[in-house]
Amino acid sequence: MQILKVENISKVYGTKKGSNRYTALKNISFEVNQGEFIGVMGASGSGKTTLLNILGSLDRPTTGRFIMNGIDVGTLRKNELAKHRIENIGFIFQDYNLLETMTLKENIILPLSLMGMDAKTIEAKLARFVEDLGIVHVLDKYPYEVSGGEQQRAAACRALINCPKIILADEPTGNLDSKSGKDLLKLLSYINKEYKATILMVTHDVFAASYCQKILFIRDGEIYNELYSGSDKKQFFDSIIDVMSMLGGERQ
Amino acid sequence: MNLLTLAFRNIRLNRKKYAMYVFSMGFSVFTVYTFLALMHNENVMLAFQSDPRYRSLLSSFGVIIMVFVLFFLISSNNSFIRARKKEISTYALFGMTNLRIGKLLFLETLMVGSATLLAGIGAGIFFSKLMAMFLIDMCMTNYVGDISFIIDPGSIFITALLFLAIFCIMGLSGLRVIYKFELVDLFKAERMAEGKYKGSVPVLILSLALIAAGYIIAASGNALVVVLGAIPILVLVISGTYLFFWGGMPKVLGIIRRNKSLYYRGENLISTSAVSHRMKSIASVMATIAVLSAVAATAIATGFTLYSNTELNTYINTGADLIYYGGDSDLNKEIYRVMEANHVKMEREETIALYETVPKTENGPDGDIFSGYSLRVYPETEYNRLLEASRTDLEPVSIKSGEAYYASPVTPDDGGKAFLGVTLDFGDTDIRIVKVSRNNFSGMGMFHTVILSDEDFKELTGNGLIYSSADAGGAGTATLMNYQGALSDSRLNADLAAVLDESDAKYMTAYNLYNESMQIFGLLCFIGFFMSGVFILMTASLLYFKQIMAAEEERHQYQMLRRVGMDEKTERKVIRKRLMPVFFIPLAIGIIHSIFAMKTADTVVFSNMIPVENSYLSVLGFSAVMYLAYAAVYCIFYLITKSQYERIVHS
Repeated sequence: MQILKVENISKVYGTKKGSNRYTALKNISFEVNQGEFIGVMGASGSGKTTLLNILGSLDRPTTGRFIMNGIDVGTLRKNELAKHRIENIGFIFQDYNLLETMTLKENIILPLSLMGMDAKTIEAKLARFVEDLGIVHVLDKYPYEVSGGEQQRAAACRALINCPKIILADEPTGNLDSKSGKDLLKLLSYINKEYKATILMVTHDVFAASYCQKILFIRDGEIYNELYSGSDKKQFFDSIIDVMSMLGGERQ
Repeated sequence: MNLLTLAFRNIRLNRKKYAMYVFSMGFSVFTVYTFLALMHNENVMLAFQSDPRYRSLLSSFGVIIMVFVLFFLISSNNSFIRARKKEISTYALFGMTNLRIGKLLFLETLMVGSATLLAGIGAGIFFSKLMAMFLIDMCMTNYVGDISFIIDPGSIFITALLFLAIFCIMGLSGLRVIYKFELVDLFKAERMAEGKYKGSVPVLILSLALIAAGYIIAASGNALVVVLGAIPILVLVISGTYLFFWGGMPKVLGIIRRNKSLYYRGENLISTSAVSHRMKSIASVMATIAVLSAVAATAIATGFTLYSNTELNTYINTGADLIYYGGDSDLNKEIYRVMEANHVKMEREETIALYETVPKTENGPDGDIFSGYSLRVYPETEYNRLLEASRTDLEPVSIKSGEAYYASPVTPDDGGKAFLGVTLDFGDTDIRIVKVSRNNFSGMGMFHTVILSDEDFKELTGNGLIYSSADAGGAGTATLMNYQGALSDSRLNADLAAVLDESDAKYMTAYNLYNESMQIFGLLCFIGFFMSGVFILMTASLLYFKQIMAAEEERHQYQMLRRVGMDEKTERKVIRKRLMPVFFIPLAIGIIHSIFAMKTADTVVFSNMIPVENSYLSVLGFSAVMYLAYAAVYCIFYLITKSQYERIVHS
């Protein structure tokens, strides 16, 4: 089943006639099916975060449209967008974006409570995920009291808890050490398989990208290449490195 | 770019943040200047020269204001600097030393300060006439002098000097804040900036118990207990209030957090956790504001109640505009002559025959309860005539044969009740006192008044047991007069006093008491208004600064919440629930404290002043007006803060 269909999205910053016009995205089109784990790679400044912001409806495209879960997101109004975000999208950010004033548990249930669910349902949903994600023991701690890995797992749990149609992850391993990063990637793969969650992950880390089933490479706002993971992980990893070095090399 | 131009640039760029700061600082300058100018004002000095107590009352009030202004300016300056943390840390990042940053901020303070100093003094001069008129109008009903604008160089000089000194202290204390900044804070989002504050049940219970104990003493209704307990009440309630905000309220929030069905509603989750996160830094401020609000609300309510009831209270004491007894027969004509000369019309004149007796009492506690003193005696109709002619609204009496009413300047609660049930022994006839009430003017030279039924009175005068005071060597009649301009016409009263003093009559005028009361109550009321005005503006703007500072730090949280999918409606709800407790809990506690403080004021002062069944209710009525005004000003500040907060977290 198709979850996301992106058609000719462009994003231009700056005024129409202004000299500091800057095109971040040019005619991007692709599709995402349910249960896919897709990576978006590119050098910094290539427009991958812009793409993620647009897909997450934090930003609007200049031209083009995209359909998520059968809805043309461009037609939604501001408050409908908030509802759309809370129901269909789960976010995982590089800097976790947990509220410092709340315990991990409160952070995780935030989307549910904003949706207006009753306490019983919330507790039931929470219990199912936290055990699976291994953060039961830190639930009543505050973000600054636990490690980065635990914070990111809580953030993943928050992204997952309302069973969104798609999880958007922006450099989720960027702030983690290699061990925690690896754990998180395993977790994302697990979420992807176990809960049939669709994940779109932006990263510039080759190792992280190697966990994906499909990778889109973006260069100067355009899709440059696509790679599919085969049965051989090593080969996939090598081809990612090849593409990345090509991207990096041409930029200089 | 040197420091001076940088300072100019900063002021221009931060003008929105500066606006409130300038306003509250300008108001401080205005307050101090107005005060000094009033103290030096010829008219005011002249008006109050009669009593040095008033001057000392005014000046000690002035000292309180100064201390408060100092405290307020320093703490709002520090909040202001913290609100600009990011900007200041950036300077440090680019290699500016702390001392230079301090100098820069000091320059800004001085520049903005000088401007507000000028504006504040300007406003002070502009409003000086109004303020002096306000003060004199409240206190001096009979003052007729011309009040001019006050441009008092001495006051201007002292104000300027005082504030320059305060600016220097602000500069130093700001430097201390800058030194405490860590550069890393710039890069880390507010992490562990404030420790958790869980509160505890024992502290919550203790705080409530302390406050309750204070309330119980305050509400005891016994004047002696209340007067002796004034200090314990203050200590109990103030310590209870601080404990409540330090340890009790965090616990209350904790309890709210445990109620899941309520707490898990999106906006409650966010706002409650945000408030409890802020609790540590704001607890002391909230407690201080609660206490100050209580003081200010009580001051203003007491002043207003006293002031509004001055006229009523005057007539409770004097009964009419003029009562005299004794004097020769020409006196009445003389008085009319004076009134005519002053073009004043007599409104009411009534002459009452005076009788007295020395009865035996059977069942007083120490034998004779009246200790052999003479009693003033009225028959029912005569007494009712006296009441009806008076300017009070005392109810007429109706007495059965064999019974008597007793009246004296003492209220029933303050010991008048001792006379209830006392039997007056008139030989064949025994008359029992069945009701005790307060009357300050019926005695006509005697402390006790007894009112009998008309038949009993007739019988006992027939026996000679009750006899005219003329026979006992006193005045046979008393004359009661009400006339125009009695309370305000100073010439008339001086002329009347001259005539009455010359005769050997005893007299009592409403004018003297009224004007004396107006001076002291008017001054109290003025101080109450002024102090409340200062407290309310400063505490509310202090809260404003704290919340704006918090808004800067909480901005990224709202960004995050919007990403998760919080819509604007929920965001507004969150902000409302986040700010409301901070503004209105201290206000509510302050007002509740004040309600009990008014109960003590009622016990000590008002129950003697306001002759109604339940004087406390009427006191609360007068207080409620002031509480509403107080709350309204707080609401305005809340709305300003809310819109600023929304603007900041939305940018």
